[in-house]
Amino acid sequence: MATKEKSRKLTERKQNALSGYLFVSPFFILFAIFGLFPMVFSFYLSFFRWDGLTPMTYVGLKNFEIIFNDSIFFSSIWNTFLMGIMGTFPQIIVALLLAFALNSALIRFSNTFRTLVFLPYITSVVAVAIIFSLIFNNQSFGLVNYILSMFDVEPIRWNQEYWPVKIAISTMVFWRWVGYNTIIFLAGMQSIPKELYEAAKIDGASIGQQIRLVTLPMLKPVLMFVVFTATIGALQLFTEPFIFLGRGLREEGITMVAYLWRDAFGYNSFGTASAAAIVLFAIIIVITAINLLITNRVGRSKKVQ
Amino acid sequence: MKNFLKLLLAALFTVSILVACGGGDEDSNADSSEDDNAEEAGTETTEAQIGSDDAEVELVFWEFGNTGYDVLIEEYVEANPHVSINLINQDMNDLHDNLFTSISAGSGAPDIAMVEEAQIERFKVAEDQFYNLYDLGADQVEGDFLEWVWRSGQNGEGSFQFGLPTDIGPTVMFYRTDVFEEAGYDSSPEAVSELLSTWEDFANVAQEINDKTGALMTDAGELVYNARRDQATETYFNSDDEFILEENNQIKDAYDYVADLFDAGLVGDIPLWTPEWFAGMDDASYAVFLGPAWMQGVIKDNSPEEGIWSITTMPEGAGNWGGSYLTLPSEGENSEEAYAFIEWLTAPEQQFKAFQGYGLFPSTPAVYEMTEFQEYEDSYFGGLNTAQVFSEAAEAVIPVYKGRNYYPVDDEIKEALDNVSSGSDREDEWEAMLDRVGSVLERQ
Repeated sequence: MATKEKSRKLTERKQNALSGYLFVSPFFILFAIFGLFPMVFSFYLSFFRWDGLTPMTYVGLKNFEIIFNDSIFFSSIWNTFLMGIMGTFPQIIVALLLAFALNSALIRFSNTFRTLVFLPYITSVVAVAIIFSLIFNNQSFGLVNYILSMFDVEPIRWNQEYWPVKIAISTMVFWRWVGYNTIIFLAGMQSIPKELYEAAKIDGASIGQQIRLVTLPMLKPVLMFVVFTATIGALQLFTEPFIFLGRGLREEGITMVAYLWRDAFGYNSFGTASAAAIVLFAIIIVITAINLLITNRVGRSKKVQ
Repeated sequence: MKNFLKLLLAALFTVSILVACGGGDEDSNADSSEDDNAEEAGTETTEAQIGSDDAEVELVFWEFGNTGYDVLIEEYVEANPHVSINLINQDMNDLHDNLFTSISAGSGAPDIAMVEEAQIERFKVAEDQFYNLYDLGADQVEGDFLEWVWRSGQNGEGSFQFGLPTDIGPTVMFYRTDVFEEAGYDSSPEAVSELLSTWEDFANVAQEINDKTGALMTDAGELVYNARRDQATETYFNSDDEFILEENNQIKDAYDYVADLFDAGLVGDIPLWTPEWFAGMDDASYAVFLGPAWMQGVIKDNSPEEGIWSITTMPEGAGNWGGSYLTLPSEGENSEEAYAFIEWLTAPEQQFKAFQGYGLFPSTPAVYEMTEFQEYEDSYFGGLNTAQVFSEAAEAVIPVYKGRNYYPVDDEIKEALDNVSSGSDREDEWEAMLDRVGSVLERQ
C-alpha cells in the first residue's frame, strides 16, 4: 500500500514537473531556434569562408586574423564605447530628472507630457533619419551649422569629422531612448509610497534631498535594469549610425554591429562577420560580468547600512 | 574562483537572453538609401495584388524604383485571366539584400525578381538558384536586345541566362537653360553640346559660369566622377576578376579631375538622394546634372516647372548607369507562366510604354526604329526629342565589366572623394582608399 502510494506520488510530481516544463517550453523552444542556434552557428561559421551562396570552406583562424589586422575593426570597438558613454550617461541622468518632474504633483497636463516624452521612441526610423540629416547637415544651411554660424563657427562636416560624427549619433541615441527610459523610471517612481515623500517633507527635505535620499535608493532595482539594458543596447548600437552614415558606414562612426553587418551584407563575407560577432560576444560578457559585480557590491553595502 | 565562475555563467545567461530579446531591433530599420545605384530613393514597401482572386496561377514579383509596371500588369492579366500578379515594390538595396538572404536560406524568394545591373554579379555564383532562361525559350528573343546588355545578364561562358533586360541607363547631360543664358551662352542642346565637347571645356566653362553667375557647375561632384567612370573602358576589375584599380589610369584621372573641381570650388559636395539634393534641382544654384535616362523622372518630380531643364550629350561620349534584369529564382513553381510574363513585359511594345511612363530607356533596339519613339517630344524639356538624345547616348555606350565587388570598391572611392572635398590631401586619400579596398578584398 505504502509503496504504491509513494510511486503514485512520484508520478504526480513528475507530471507536475512535466506540465511545468511544458508551460515554459514555448520560450525555450523559440529561444533555441532564434537565439541559441544562430549563436552556435556563428561560432561555427567564424572558422569558414562563406559568401552566403557557394559552399563553405574551412579556413581555421584566418577570419580572426583578417579582422585583427583591420584598423577599422579596432575603430569600431573604440567608437562603440565612446558613443555608448556619450549616449547613455546623459540619457540616464536626464531621464531620471524628467521622470521625477513628471511624477511630481506640480506639473499640469502630466499625461500629455508623458505621451510627448515617449513619442520619439515610437517615431519611424526613416523620419528620424531625415530630420537628423537636416539638423546635422554638412552644409552651412544645416540647422546646427546655421546656429553655430551666428557665433562665427565654420560649418562642421557632421558625418565626416571624428568628434562631430560621434556627437551627432549620440544625440540621436539620446533623443530616441530618453523617453523610453523616462517611462521606465516613472513606473518605478510611482511604486514608491507617497508616505516616504510626505515624511521627508515634514522633516524639511529639499527637492534635491528627496531625489537623493528617497527616490534614488528606492529606485535602485529599476536603475539597475535601465543601466543594464542601456549598456547592452549601447554595445549593439547599429540603427543610428546606419541611418546617419548610410551603407558606406565611414570609419569615424562605424560601430561593432555595423562593422559585422557590413561584412556580412556589404561584402558577403559571413566568416569574418561571425568572427567579429564572437569578439563582440566576448566583450559583452565581460562588461556584463563587471556590471553584475558592481551591482552585487552596491547591494551588499546597502545591507550593512 | 567558484563565485567568479558563477558570475560569468550568470553574465552569459543574461547576455544571451538580452541578445535574444533585443535581436529584432536590428532588422527593423528601413534604409534611407544613399547609394548612387538606387534608381529612386523610395523607402517604403508597397504591395499590390493585380488580377482576379481565383486565378489559377499567382506570381510574386519583386521590383524597385518607379517602373510603372502596375499599369502594364493590368493589361497582362486582362489578356491572361488565369494569372494574377502580386507586385511588391521595395527599396532597391532592401530588395537585393532580401533576395540574397532568401536565396541563401533556400526559402522566401519570389517567382520574379528584378535585379539591378551591377548587383546581378553578386548572384551569378548561384546558378542553381535561378532558372536558366535559355531552357525556357530565351534564345528566341535574344536577338531583340542590345548585345552588350544581354551579355551582362549571363554567365561567363554564355550558357546560362539569368535575366531578361528591362531598361538601360545611357548617361546624358541634363542642364538648366536659365543658368546657361544668364552666363551669356546659347542654351540650345546643339550649342551646349558643342560648348562642352571635352572634359577640359567642361572645367573651363564651369569656371566661367561661376565667375559670371556665382552658380556651381553641378552640386554633387560625385556625379562628375560617375560620368567619367562610366565612360572608362575598364573600371575596378578586369574580366578575370583581378583588381586593376592601381594600374587603371582612367579611374585615377577621373578621381584627379573631380579633385581639381573640388579644389577650384566649382562643384558642390551634396550627397545624392538627400532632401537637400532633391531640393537643389529646383533652384538655379548649379548648371548641369550628369545622369542616366531614368534620372529624368527624379528631376521632373523635384522641379515641376516646364522648359527650364534640357538635355544634351555628355562631354566625350556616354556611359551606362543602371538598368535591370528580370530573373526567375528557381524556388518559383510556375517558371513557364513567369517566363511568359517577363518575355511579354520586356518586349519592345511594353518597353516603349515604360519609356513613355517613367523614362525607362528600352534595351530593345526595335523600339528605336518606331516612328512614335523617334517623334516622341517631351514638353518638359522644351519640346525636345528626348528619345533621340538618349538613343545617341545608348549607341555610344561601351560595355564595361563590373565584377561582384564593384560597389564595395566604388563606396570607398566615394568616401575618399568626400574627404577630398573637405580639404584632405588627394594622394593620401587615394592611398588610404587602396588600403581599405585591400582589406575588403582580402575577405573574398
